[in-house]
Order: sequence, then structure tokens, then C-alpha cells
Amino acid sequence: MHDDNSGGRTDSIRPRHRIGDRGDHFLKRVEGETGANISACYQCERCTNACPVSAFMDVKPHQVIRYIQIGWRERLLSCSTVWVCLSCEMCTTYCPNDVGVAETIQHLRKMAANSAIQPRELQLATFHRTFIEELQRFGRVNEFWLMGALNLKPGILKDKIRTGALKEEIELGLTLWRRGKLKLLPHRCKAVGEIRTVVQNRNGKVR
Amino acid sequence: MRLAFYPGCSLEGMASDYAESIEAVFRRLQIDLVEIEDWSCCGATAAHSLSEAMAVALPARNIAAAEKLGLDIVVPCANCFNRMRFSQVMIEKGIYDVPWPVTGKIKIHDMTRLLAEDDMLEKIRARTVRPLSGLKLVSYYGCQMVRPPRITGYTDYENPQTLDRLAEAAGAEVLDWSYKTTCCGASIGIGRRDIQEALTRKLIVKARQAGAEAIVVSCPLCQSNLDLIQAKESGPATPIFYFTELLRLALNSGGRPQHWLRKHVADPLPLLREKGVIP
Amino acid sequence: MSCSPSITHLSSPPEGKVLVVGGGIGGIQCALDLADAGFHVYLADTAYTLGGVMARLDKTFPTNDCSTCMFSPKLVQVAGHRNIEILSNTRLLDLDGDPGRFSARIEKRPRYIDLEKCIACGQCAEKCPKKVPDAFNGELSMRKAAFVTFPQAVPLKYALDPDHCLYLTRGRCGLCKKICPTDAVDFNQKPEIVDLSVGAVILASGFELALTREHGEYGFGRYQNVVSSLQYERMLSATGPTAGHLARPSDGKTPQKVAWIQCVLSRDAARNRPFCSSVCCMHAAKQAVMTRSHLPETEAVIYFMDVRAHGKGFDDYVERARRQHGVQYRRSMISQVYLDPETENLIIETFDHEQHRKKEETFDLVVLSSGFQPPGSWRDLAGRLGLDLNPYGFAQAPFDEPAATNRAGVYVCGGIESPKDIPETVVQAGAAAAEASILLSSARSRPAAESEAVDAPTTTGEPRVGVFVCHCGSNISGVVDIPAIIERLRKMPEVAWAEDFVFTCANETQDRLIESIRKHDLNRIVVAACSPKTHEPLFAETLRRAGLNPYLITMANIRNQCSWVHAKKPDKATEKAFSLARGAVRRALYLEPLTEQRYRVTDTALVIGGGISGMTAALTVADQGFAVHLVEKDHQLGGFARNLTETLEGDSPQQLIRRLERRVLSHPMITVYTDSEVTAHDGYVGAFTGTVQGAGGSFDLRYGAVVVATGAQAYVPSEHLHGKDERVLTQVELSRRIRTDPDKIRRLSRVVMIQCVGSRNADFPYCSRVCCSAAVKNSIALRKANPDIQVVVLYRDLRTFGFKELYYLEARRLGALFFRYIPEHPPEVKTDGNGKLVVDFTDRSSFEDFRAEADLVVLSAGMRPHEASGSVANLLKLPRTPEGFFMEAHVKLQPMEFSTPGIYLAGLAHSPRFISESIAMAQGAAQQAVKVLSKKEMKTSATVAEVDPDLCAACLACVRVCPFGAPFINQDGVSEIPPAKCRGCGICPAECPARAIRLKHSTDEQIDAQIDALLEAEQPRKRPR
Repeated sequence: MHDDNSGGRTDSIRPRHRIGDRGDHFLKRVEGETGANISACYQCERCTNACPVSAFMDVKPHQVIRYIQIGWRERLLSCSTVWVCLSCEMCTTYCPNDVGVAETIQHLRKMAANSAIQPRELQLATFHRTFIEELQRFGRVNEFWLMGALNLKPGILKDKIRTGALKEEIELGLTLWRRGKLKLLPHRCKAVGEIRTVVQNRNGKVR
Repeated sequence: MRLAFYPGCSLEGMASDYAESIEAVFRRLQIDLVEIEDWSCCGATAAHSLSEAMAVALPARNIAAAEKLGLDIVVPCANCFNRMRFSQVMIEKGIYDVPWPVTGKIKIHDMTRLLAEDDMLEKIRARTVRPLSGLKLVSYYGCQMVRPPRITGYTDYENPQTLDRLAEAAGAEVLDWSYKTTCCGASIGIGRRDIQEALTRKLIVKARQAGAEAIVVSCPLCQSNLDLIQAKESGPATPIFYFTELLRLALNSGGRPQHWLRKHVADPLPLLREKGVIP
Repeated sequence: MSCSPSITHLSSPPEGKVLVVGGGIGGIQCALDLADAGFHVYLADTAYTLGGVMARLDKTFPTNDCSTCMFSPKLVQVAGHRNIEILSNTRLLDLDGDPGRFSARIEKRPRYIDLEKCIACGQCAEKCPKKVPDAFNGELSMRKAAFVTFPQAVPLKYALDPDHCLYLTRGRCGLCKKICPTDAVDFNQKPEIVDLSVGAVILASGFELALTREHGEYGFGRYQNVVSSLQYERMLSATGPTAGHLARPSDGKTPQKVAWIQCVLSRDAARNRPFCSSVCCMHAAKQAVMTRSHLPETEAVIYFMDVRAHGKGFDDYVERARRQHGVQYRRSMISQVYLDPETENLIIETFDHEQHRKKEETFDLVVLSSGFQPPGSWRDLAGRLGLDLNPYGFAQAPFDEPAATNRAGVYVCGGIESPKDIPETVVQAGAAAAEASILLSSARSRPAAESEAVDAPTTTGEPRVGVFVCHCGSNISGVVDIPAIIERLRKMPEVAWAEDFVFTCANETQDRLIESIRKHDLNRIVVAACSPKTHEPLFAETLRRAGLNPYLITMANIRNQCSWVHAKKPDKATEKAFSLARGAVRRALYLEPLTEQRYRVTDTALVIGGGISGMTAALTVADQGFAVHLVEKDHQLGGFARNLTETLEGDSPQQLIRRLERRVLSHPMITVYTDSEVTAHDGYVGAFTGTVQGAGGSFDLRYGAVVVATGAQAYVPSEHLHGKDERVLTQVELSRRIRTDPDKIRRLSRVVMIQCVGSRNADFPYCSRVCCSAAVKNSIALRKANPDIQVVVLYRDLRTFGFKELYYLEARRLGALFFRYIPEHPPEVKTDGNGKLVVDFTDRSSFEDFRAEADLVVLSAGMRPHEASGSVANLLKLPRTPEGFFMEAHVKLQPMEFSTPGIYLAGLAHSPRFISESIAMAQGAAQQAVKVLSKKEMKTSATVAEVDPDLCAACLACVRVCPFGAPFINQDGVSEIPPAKCRGCGICPAECPARAIRLKHSTDEQIDAQIDALLEAEQPRKRPR
């Protein structure tokens, strides 16, 4: 009898990972870029317990922190966690070590988005990209046009038809339309050029 | 009183009812809202997922515009509020440079906190002509308005009070519940409807358990998640009110409720009739 | 301690008075340790009563002893001590002057009830119309504005709460004044500022919970069924709001499922409370065990991250909590508690790794194990006194003077110095008392003897029994029909006189008792009232004043044993009360005058063991002007700490040893015997004799007290290739190598540390307490030597308690990696095919199996009792734990004492501990010895066992059964019991087959007569003897 969750562990022979051969370069990099106190984590699991979507993550928030500590970059950039995270900030708010868990996961999402690794959650990943494209186009984001643009991205529509999500989406659209909640024509900001420059330069330089 | 107003993209579309009620309430309270000219999207919810620099820069353009007006900003949308505060804090800390001059001299208010100040509440109470007596509500704040506290400035981030006070000022009975700031799933439904529905449904269930007949919110995304999930439900609805709608009802500030409440999916009219708020 | 000689250079003699601020267990112990050593003590507390936090506790770990039962005798002792003056409702304002001659400005705040006049009858509280939430009960119940904090309060006097009393706040009411039978209520009392001349000040201000309703952690203050650990303590307590029946606040329902959340506002760097509060792990374990014992059907679940059971017997207790009591431990921390509005139950959400889903678990009650903080007014006081505080507001004591502050002559003890447990507080209280006692030793008063008893008359005529029956306010008279009892007593032929008093124990009553004794020529006295344990000494003193031998009294407890327990049956209670009184009367007929014997105290101490503890103890005694024999087995002084390079906090044990050694060797009052052992020991407290044998020869010594400081030794592991592969070291070896070979250390690339080697296993189930800190210390050193050295620490529970937690945080921030393993899957150390040293382990966070190639494997090997402790135990007849550590007289309140008087315990011989803790304990133990040595003479007890040599068959039964080793076969070939060694326990008279032993004051005749009288009502035909 012990006090830990065993993670459904059975004692069958499993691969044994070598630890430490990666050094702490990845840890240093992520800490440097986010200012999060990742080293300070003592694995209390408050983040994972507080997270509303930990059940939908393949790597739990506390494990994200552990994996950064041991330099498992690929595992992290290819996990569903970075896309499933809602940025609800529960983990950050309750972390006793000021780790900045949500910010760290967001940062990994950025790294994943900018890497060649195929995202585990295609629709969510594509959504973020599309959102910014729409923002560049008009300066503001129109929900109707955003969804339209998203559906035109490779693989998305096919996926939605397969899962039946498209039908639901159309029903939802009609519901909104009937209640006058859909704005069909997008507003275009006058300063859209200015905004586009900002986005394209990912403007704002880290000092 | 004059304030710069940053409506945010949602208020042009899905949350147009929020926009209308804001306008009506502020007119009645004689507060001038000066919409920031040619405002642009704050970047939520995607910008911070792709580039922090971009996430800082996009709201900064609007902050700079308000600074030029010399007015504090009031933001109705929790997401926009969070992104703008984030931008302001990061610029203040000197972590990022942005192409627009931002000095940090103006305040960014979330709309609930602005109106939940004592003098404002007094004003609301004084002008309430149609108190929402007997209407049992829970307040729902979601995540972005309160967390993380170092950005939002909410010290009571687990049990915030602004919506509670406003709804009470409007005469409603506000019940305590534990899920005021539990995430509704936000925009995850775009790719993972299963997750969003699980989260949103839980909130509806918990609200009803707490004895709530309706939920009062301030965030367009929360409103839409909580409202739309009831589209497939039968049985009595749990209307999801913007707090400004409650105020508009209580203050009777223009328009026929039967008309301006029609945008809700979970129809609030039967409940309001039952409570005698509307005929 | 080390700076004491310089302090004693005073221009004028010091003041032999000490102000102790704070009346919790720390302040009380400190006051007793000073008062018994010949100093006058002012014991001040801001509260209306002494007691502090301990008075609010129900039971205590690890013995589950009742807190009040342990504590009340201490309170009584303090209350009756001639050298202690209690200043309740008093605060220290300011301190002027120099060590030895301070002027302490205090403010006595009004109580609005005259302490002299109040007889604690309780009528004011009964009449008071104003109800107030009772802070003593965690505001879970109400009290009146006229109140006494708790029934055992000291002083047991009522007070008016100035914030709520209707008269004091609004000028109306005054009912209490009208009803008070002694006219004690005085609305016009004003605060009084007094300057006290004192030689030293000891601050024992205690602590409070950091948890507040404003914080609202986990819904505290928002949800009724979320309570603090101290509130729960009251809920468990028989004197609490629900009289010990567990009932949750919202609806009084018996909880079916209770959760504890640990580390609330502890170990929380984000809320600027990064330290550990040290005691909450054990506190919660105890509360869970008590819950399961009260309500076996109720589930008890503890959410935690590390079980910090680092004290003596603690791991064993936690293990029993788990296995025997079924307490469920969940290593998982919680962020938020949710309310189920329909049931007012609480929901805790966790992620269940086994089921891979979010789990909602419902509890009827949630207990928050809140961290500690200094009391609200402390910072202000510390500021006025100019004390250095740590960032969290606690007083800072130096490594080698664990009760000192930065202001000479001002000392600290207890929770105000760091969060700590009761025995640690008692130890530090002893240390603080020792410091003050050294400073003021020239002003010590050494009264010739407490010898009145010796001179008491021993002759007496035919028994004339007087009975005094007490109403105890309405405690007894509210149930028992006292006039009826008096009438029946007066009819008894044996009774010469009987009368009753409202409060027999009241000061003014004593004169009336003396008057009655003289007037009616009484010579056997019965007091039918409360417990003889608390009150017999008072009446014995009255007898003495009346010219009677003080042993001619007996008490009948008609309160605790009658009116309190039979409140609902007044008729039967009256009958029983009369029976009890009649029993006492019959017993009284056989009472004999007894005398105590005086003997001179040998004012020399023997200290066994010359490590840091032994040297410190020797200096503490010697600096107070008493001679010391210091015996060390080794050829040099220093003990265990000789191996140590640096503490976690960066202090140097070697410098300390050199400093102590220099002082010990040059001290005129200390004789050092190295390479020596104690080979014989006999005698009793104040008058021991013994022999020391060693290289220098054999010496017969006389001494009045003994300090056992035999230390411990390091465990030399045989596990994990230690001793077989030179790359496997212990932490101590690594520390030394870091110092001696820094270049080689800097070139390491990976070091793996394994915790709990040789500790917490089947053979040695205890925690060695220091190893986690050693690992943390070396982790920091390695990462600082070269940040590229990867440090992997494999642990079970990380036990950096108190402020040591800050170093654990630092080690993590520096990048040391801490992985938890579970005992069922311990790490394995081996060499792979290439001769590389590898460690295989499983990480409990990721559930992944890892292999680390290590340049060094470092084992945190625990401590073992010193091999010599067995022979010392045999020689001195001292008990030890199964593992071989010495067993103290009482885990909580007598950590430095043995049940044999005159022998005291310090340092690692007691259990594994840090150097500062050893120093404190050595000072404290030495102070216990000084309490003996400072008496010129002592007296034996009069209530001892006595052998009738004519009946004794020398069967040795008494020799074998005596727990104190008192009886011996004398030169006449019969058993003899030296009165000084006898504790009057009564075991030998019961065992003696020849009935040759008689226990004075509890003789067979006395007991038989009493029993016969008690049974008389049921068996009226049986005639009394």
C-alpha cells in the first residue's frame, strides 16, 4: 500500500529511458524565453488536479514541467497538451512555486507551431493560424469569415464531415443567423496595413 | 464621466446583444463611452499561442489610441481585457518594444469592476425602476477576467464579487456557488467540441444544483458557450444574461425586452414573465 | 553559551529576576526551569489565561495523550510556584538597560474583575446577557462577554470582554456587578503601566495560524464545513463546542468522510510563505487517527506532498495511521474546494492517473492544515526591542546559540523562533532558561531547604476528624445536596466537626479552616471537594499552618468523580458523594504523621559523552558555578560532529568544536576524562556516586546529577555497492570530498543521490532527520561548483522541515533534479557491461523508468545509536527504544528527563537531530541538572515504601519489579528501600509475597477502611473494622 497514483502502471518490461544525456539546455532555453520558474517545481500535481482538461492531455501539466527539466523537447512539441490547453490559468494561479505552467505550455505551443512537427490536434493548430490570417486581412476578426476560412484549410472540412462536426456547425450557424447573431460582412480597419506589418514582423522585439 | 470604449470583435457579431445593452445602460447612467477610433483586434485567442511579441503588440495599438484621447479604457469582453492588461504589463516591465507609444498612464477597466464601485452601485440602485425581485442567479466570471491575478488585479480570484454586486443592485437574488471561475472551455470547441461541451455542460448542471434559474456573465465567449449548449436541450432553460442586460431591465433603459432579448438561445422570457419582471 | 563569559562582566550584580513573555508551553516550561533554579520569574501573557495553543489541543502525537491531562499539572505547578508571578492580560511595551539589569515596561490591561476577589463562581457569566463567538473554540461556539477562557484557566478568574461587554461598550447592563457575591466586578479598572527590574527577558510569544477568513484559501470562511486544523482540534476535544462529539458546523451531522489538505500557506513560495510549518504532517495524522477512533465508519483522507515524520517515533505513528487505522494518504495537492449546495458537502477534484480521468470526491468536512506565522503583535514588539527577524517575521537565533537573539540578555523559545512541535519547544525553553540562568547565576537565591515539612509535628492524639465539604461554586452544590451531606456527616460518631464552604480552596477560606481546626481541636482532616492531584498540596500547607502534620489530610473527590459525571441524577449523586466522604473519613482514622528526610546535595554534575551535546551541557552547568566531570570514550572531544564539514545553513561544526573544546579544557570547573568510561553508578538524585575508569586511572566520583549525551554514529551502508565500488559514497564522504578535492568535483558530470539508505526500513523504521538536508546541501554545493554537474536526488519524502525548506527550493532553482521513488520499487545501483556505474529508477511523476549513468552515487546513510549506549543504559538502568535510542520520561513534556530523577538526556542519544537542536537540548538538559545542583539540600518523599525486616524473605521480588531500581538487599540480608530513590508507585507492596512492604500514606489499613466504608451502603450488615 502506498500513497501514489501508479498511473495504471503494470510491472511488465518497459523501455528504460536514459536520463540526463540531454543536459539542461532545453530547460534553460524555455526558462529564459518564458521567465517561468520551471526548475522550482516540486511535482505536487496541483496544476494537473486543477486543470479542467487534464483528462484530454497525453502529457499532464506537471509532467510537462518534468519533461522540460529532462530535456524531452520532441515529446513535448508533439503532444496534444499544448493544443488542448485552454489558457484558463488555473495551474499558474495555484502553483505554489510560481512556475507559470500555463505560460510554459503556451510557449511550447508556439515552439510547436513554429516547428516542423506535425501537430497532434490539427484543427486547433490550424485554427490559431487562420485566426491570425483573418486578423491580418481585416484588422478585426469576423466569426463567420473565420470559420469559413478555417474550413477551407487542407484536411479540415474532410475531418469535419467524417466526424459529423460539419452538420452541427451548419445547424449552429443557422441558429445564430435566425437570432441575428451572425455578421456576414466583415469590417475592415483603416489601419489594416499597419497591423499586417506588426503580425508579419511578429513585431515587438524582445529586449 | 467619459471613458474610452474598446468593444472588441465579438460585440460586432455574436455578442451584438451585449453591445446594445451596454449602450443602453451607459446612456441611462450618463457615462460617455468614446469608442476608440478604428480599433483593431486584440489578438485573442490566437496571438499568444503563436508569438508573445505579437500578443503584446496587437492590443498596444488600441491602448495607444486611448492614451491619445487621455481617457481610461473600459473593456466589456473578458478576453480583450485580459489581453490588454497583459500587453500593458509587459510593456511596463520593459520586456517588449511596440511600434506605438504606450506610457501606461491610463487605466484599463474591466466593465464589471468599473460599475461595481460603490458610487456606481448607488447610482444603479437609485435608478432601478424594475427590480428583478425573486430572480435567482449565479454569477459566472470565467477565467480571463480574473486570472492570472497579477495581470487582472483580482485578489479575490476564487470568489470574485463584481457581478454579484451588480446583479444584486438590479434586485436579483445572487446565490453563492463554487464554479464562478471554472473554465467553460473557451474556444476549444472549434477543434474539440467534445471537450468544450463537457466543460460547459458541467457548469450548467452545477448552476442548476445551486438553485440558479439563470446565470449572469460578462464574457461573450462564456455567454455563447453556456447559451448555445442549451439549444439541444428540452425542458426549462437556464438563461445566460449579460450583466448589462440585467441592468437594462432593472433600469428600464429603452427598448422592449421582448424584442432585445430575442437573441438568446436559452429563452429568458418565460422566466422573466414568471417573476413578473415583464408582463 | 559561547559568549556568556563576556556578558557576565557587569558593573553591578545582576537582578535575579526574569521576565518570560508568553504563557504557552514554552513560557511555562521556561518559567519552571528558571524558578526551580532559584530565580524569580514574571510570567506574562497577553491573554487572560496561561495556556497558549497547547491548551486548545485535544490529543497529542505520537502517544495520543490528552493534551489537557499533560498540561494541567504544569499549569498547576506554575500557579502554585513561590518563585513565579503570573501577569495575565499583560504585554511588554519596552525594554531599557543592559543584560543583567533591564527595566521592562509592561502594561497590565484591565480585566474589570478583581483578581483577588473573584472566586470563579461563574455567576457573572450565567447572568451576562451578551453572547460572543468563542475564539478559544475557533468561533465554533458562543461564550458570554463575562467569561473564563477554559475551565482549567490559570489564573482561574473571570474577565469582562471589553469589546463586547454591554456596560463597557454602551454603559448599560451591569448585571454581573449586581450578582457578584464578592463584589469583584470593577468597571473602573484602568490600564496600568509598570516598570519591572529584570536581569533577562525570554520571549515565548508562540504562533498563530496563517490561515484567515480574508485569505479564503480553499473556501475557508466561505464554506461552513471547511475548518482550520485548530478548529478541528476543538471539534475533537471533550471540552470543545460539541463536547468531543464530531459534528460538522453547518448542520451538526456526524461526518462520514473527512479530508485534510496539507501545506495550506506552507511551502508556498508564490504566496511568500516558502517555508515548511514542520508539525502539520503529524498533526493531521493524529487528527485522522483520532477521527477514525471516534468514528470507525468515517473515512479519513489526507492530501499531501511529502509526509514529514522526521521526529522520534513519527514514521511508526504514520505507518500505524495507515495500516491500523486505515487513514488514506493521497500524494496529490489540491487547488480548490467546491461546494455541493444541496448537501453542503465539499467536492475535491483530482486527476486519477489510474482511471485516467478527473475524479470528483465528496467529503462532509475538509480540514485545512494551515501553516504558522508569528502572532499579530509580534513584529511591533520585536521592532521596539530591536530584534532581527527573518523575512517571515520569526526571531532569528544563531546556529550555536539556539535560544539567543541579537540583543544580549534577550532570549527566545518556541514557535516564535520557528514553527515547531511541543517537545522541541520544551527543549528550547530549557535552553533559553539556561542562557538566562548563566547570565544571572551570581544572583541566584539558594534557600536552605523547603524544609517546613521536616519540622512538622509528628505527634498526635486520638483521632478527631473534621470534614470540610466544598460547593465549588455551583459545580458540586448544583447537583449534590450539601446540607443533607453535612447533616449525615455530623451524625457519624467518628466525625468531630463538619462544615461547608462555597470555595474551600479560596485564599480567604484557608484562615477559616485554620480557625475551625483550632476551635474544634481537629487532628485528621477530610476535604470533600475536587482532585487531590491539584489541591491536596494547598490543604496540606493549611494543616501545616494550623500546627498539624501535613499528612493528616485526605480528600474525597466529589466533583470530578461525582457531580460532574452524575449531573442528571442528583439524588444518586448525593448518595455517592456521601459514600465518598464517609470512605475518606474512615481512611482518615488511620492516617499517620509522616516526615521527610533532608540530605545535602552534591553540587557536581557528571556528563557522559564529550561531543557537542556533552561539551555544551558541561559548559552550561560549569558556567553557573558548579563542578562537572566530563567523560568521553574516545581519545578526543567532538563526537559525531568531528566528521561534518558544514551545515545546510553554511555554519562550521569544526569551528564550533574547537571553540567548545578550548573552553571546556580551560574551564576551572570542568574535569575532562578522555579514553574513559563510567564503570559504576549508584545513589539517587542529588547524591550519586560512581566510578570512571580510563587511561588516566580509576576515579571514584560523587555527583548530584547526570547528563547522558552518548551520541550516535553514522550508519555504514552495505547497500548499493557501498564499500565495493569507490564511486559510491555517503553524503558525509561527499561533503568532505567537496572540500578536499574541489577540482575533481568540478569535473563530475552526473551525481545520483539516494535517500533513506538504512533508514525507514524494517530493521530501522525511524527517519534519520538530517539526511534530506545533507542531500540538499550537497546538491547546492555541486551545482554551485559547476552548474553543468547534473544532480539527481532519488527520495521517498523530502523532509526539509522549517526554514530548511528554503534550501530545498534553492537546490531546485539551481537545477538539481528531485525524483520520488516508492519503497516497493527502490532504485538499483549496478555497473553495466562497460564498467559504468548506473542507477535504475522509476519516476513517480511521469511513471517512466529511467537509467542514469553516474560518476558518483551518493547514499544518504542514516544514523545509528552509539554502540556504547547499551552499556550506559545498563549501568544507569535507563530504558531505550527498540532501535537503541534512550527513552525519555515523557515524549512531549519531558524530552530531556528520564523517569529516574537526577538523570537527563541530550543530543543524538535521544534521536537523530541537527547540531543546533543538540545544543538546545544539551543546554536544556544541563538546566534540568542545575535545578538539582542549585539546591543546597533535598528531601526525600514521605510517602515511600518501607520494608519490615522481620517479614522480608529476601526473595528479590521487589528488586526485580521496581522500575526505579530502589530496593536492594542490605548487609542484614533483607530488602531495604532508600527513601530518596522510592517514587511511591506502589508496585513492590503489591508484589511482595510476604506482605513485608508497606507504602506510607496508602497503607492496607487505610485502603481497607476506605473500601469498607464505601461499600457500607450496599452491605449494611458488614461492620467497619
